[in-house]
Amino acid sequence: MRKKKVAITLGIMCLILTFGIMIQLNTTNKADQTAARNIRENGLRDEVLKWKEKYDIAYEKLEQAQTTLEEERKKSVSKDADSVQKQEELKQINTALGLNDVTGRGIIITIKDNNSGKLGDRNDIIHDSDLKNIINELKNSGAQAISINDQRIVPSTAITCVGSVIQVNNEKVGSPFIIKAIGNQDLLWNVKRPGGFLEILEYTYGIPNETKKVNNVSIPKYSGVLTDKYLESIK
Amino acid sequence: MIFVAILIGCIIGAILGINAPVIPYTYSGYLAISIVAALDSVFGGITSVLNGKFDLKIFVSGFFGNAILSILLTYLGERLNVDIYLAAIVVFVGRMFTNLGIIRRYYIDKWTDKLKEKSMNKEETKKE
Repeated sequence: MRKKKVAITLGIMCLILTFGIMIQLNTTNKADQTAARNIRENGLRDEVLKWKEKYDIAYEKLEQAQTTLEEERKKSVSKDADSVQKQEELKQINTALGLNDVTGRGIIITIKDNNSGKLGDRNDIIHDSDLKNIINELKNSGAQAISINDQRIVPSTAITCVGSVIQVNNEKVGSPFIIKAIGNQDLLWNVKRPGGFLEILEYTYGIPNETKKVNNVSIPKYSGVLTDKYLESIK
Repeated sequence: MIFVAILIGCIIGAILGINAPVIPYTYSGYLAISIVAALDSVFGGITSVLNGKFDLKIFVSGFFGNAILSILLTYLGERLNVDIYLAAIVVFVGRMFTNLGIIRRYYIDKWTDKLKEKSMNKEETKKE
């Protein structure tokens, strides 16, 4: 009697064990591809986070180095009137190039993808060419500093379409796009003129915009590096 | 009797398992660790049978208790972002090897005893 009980219990336990093993085998067989993909995705995510951290640290160091450089410069030129003037010039040039944070009167344009539901419709979403057209109109109106989603437009800026996202200065930007411009407000307001690109965008493609004049638009500096590696100045 | 029951259990379990639905991949890690824990209990059970200390209650409670405990520990490890399941695997597999060693020694001893007996029997028959 006791032996029978033992046999039945052992049988049931073996049943459970083999049942579990078979399910596990099935699962790993079927999930092999998705699992491999998951592992890769996890690895990639880790990698991205690590690089982001490194980038942030490096950027912080760069900022510190720049402030110390600025201080050193100030110290070294404080006694020389000529140097002070040079320093002032340098500052102006940097500001014009987009290497300083700036603030001033200007306009802010906000455009959003039109979420009418149909994904992938050419006309419903904002493309890199749309941004280029707006930037071009702003420059034509005499904008002295422009940014898209806090990416400063500098001489080396490229606005490109990379698959489903737009890159400005090689940084991803997405809808809603907040375009800030500093300059003569009345001239800048010309982007809203009848027949202008914003109007075409609104009435032809159904992408509304929200444009307003703001008295203290602040635009961050360009976070990349401007190089003159291939340039030689002619004297 | 016992071996027949084990065999039938294994066959039925395999058939059921093949036809069972696949579980989500997230949980397959938990299932794997519980399988390892259960296998460890099985080998432990065989060893205790050989030592003559087998107790069904201890065996069954170890089988299910270890499996459930290992799942809970793995879950805890996942929450805490520590790979506790590695420790569980090390312990279970280590014990499995120890038990396998005991089982092997037991059967080898038995075998050598048998061989000795046979040779002795042969010598006796020769003398006669």
